[in-house]
Amino acid sequence: MTNVEVEVRGLTKTYGNRAVVADVSFNLSPGTVTGFLGPNGAGKSTTLRMMLGLVEPTAGVTLFGGRAYRDLASPARTVGAVLESGDFHPRRSGYNHLRVIAALAGLDEHPIGGVLATVGLTKAAHRQVRTYSLGMRQRLGLAAALLGNPQVLLLDEPANGLDPAGVAWLRSLLQDFTANGGTALVSSHLLAELSQSVDRVVVISEGRLLADTDLKSLQDGRSLEEAYLALTSGVTA
Amino acid sequence: MTVVRAEVLKLRTTRTMLWLLLAMLGLVVLAVTLHGLGLALEDVSKHPTQMRIFIAGQNLGSVFAALAGAAAVTSEFRYGTIRPTLVAAPDRSTVMLGKAGTSALVGFALGLLATVSAAALTLGLLHMRDVTVLLDHDDLLHGILGGAADGALWAVLGLGIGGLMRNQVGAIIGIFVWVQVIENLLIDSAPKVSSYLPGALAQAVAGSRQGSLGTAPALSLLALYAAVVLAACVARIRRTDVA
Repeated sequence: MTNVEVEVRGLTKTYGNRAVVADVSFNLSPGTVTGFLGPNGAGKSTTLRMMLGLVEPTAGVTLFGGRAYRDLASPARTVGAVLESGDFHPRRSGYNHLRVIAALAGLDEHPIGGVLATVGLTKAAHRQVRTYSLGMRQRLGLAAALLGNPQVLLLDEPANGLDPAGVAWLRSLLQDFTANGGTALVSSHLLAELSQSVDRVVVISEGRLLADTDLKSLQDGRSLEEAYLALTSGVTA
Repeated sequence: MTVVRAEVLKLRTTRTMLWLLLAMLGLVVLAVTLHGLGLALEDVSKHPTQMRIFIAGQNLGSVFAALAGAAAVTSEFRYGTIRPTLVAAPDRSTVMLGKAGTSALVGFALGLLATVSAAALTLGLLHMRDVTVLLDHDDLLHGILGGAADGALWAVLGLGIGGLMRNQVGAIIGIFVWVQVIENLLIDSAPKVSSYLPGALAQAVAGSRQGSLGTAPALSLLALYAAVVLAACVARIRRTDVA
């Protein structure tokens, strides 16, 4: 795996006079899991979408190994992303969803069986997605993200709907991924879980960067929840 | 080509296209049968009436091709699959042009199936009523090939409208209202203008509209409309924030 550094520089998104994301900058380093925290409506999802080119930034840029996402030679081999748990055609099977993604990304279908096994969906692979639980849809989204064996993972609330075994599995997946030099950004509201998974933390609120630091510095002897609430209450009060 | 392959795979892995095809063939049978059996024997013995029976089924190919084209993009927004699609293939122009190419192929096939089945059913009904068939080889071949070309171009028009509206229900209603209401109103209120509208052009391409443009000019103008609407759609999709 080639290490890929991610640079987020001055990302800004405004709708009219309202800034949803304002001049947010941070770096993601290979071999680390970075937690992406913030209250509802803080701008996390918009930031992730801007990083992937789904939302056009009003200003700023995101570089993956020095290149914007759409300029990557093979985006799916560099970045894997999970954005929403419901982004599937309900009457298409999980297996066929992955075949479509592989075809779009110019990937071979060969790894599909492997990623389905990795996320624990082998038995349900040929069922229509409408029969899947929320946790199974999350796993399918993760399977699609892993299909190109990427060097960077951008995951928006990936633990949402996962059972405790699924959460533990996700934690070990992220540990293995970063142990091999991968770069991961994980947005989540499950702070107790996140404190066991992440090395660094980026916190935003009302579209502005509040913290970009390592986990221990932010916690300063407190739980992640206490540290997070202390940081964000000053902004949202 | 990867986008075309993926689009074909999308069509093959749900039953949407099968239902669309069955609905189209069902309506072709209904429309041709109602015309073929409902018209008086004296009328059915005339060439223009026999063409009218054929056209009743032939037109449906274009309408269903437009619906298939619209669905190719509106279903992506309806189910949220536009996000994984654009994450996997971030060049939006390539994605939309791939969709246009696939839609044109699907529209051609729908147009061909509608016209071939309309022709076979028309001939069958005329034989059943012991009427001399006045439709000749040229009428049928022109109708079938023209109908297939109409299907291809209407599918691209439908895709463009779908991409501009993005709302699936809105796009479907818009296409039906245009075909069934607006063009029909304009035929009576502004006959000169109506010859240049997409529905009239489709009929001219298939050789089934009197006193209008010839096949080649009609085909060229319809292709121009499809290209303009597709260009507007690509420009819109390129600018759209996919939240």
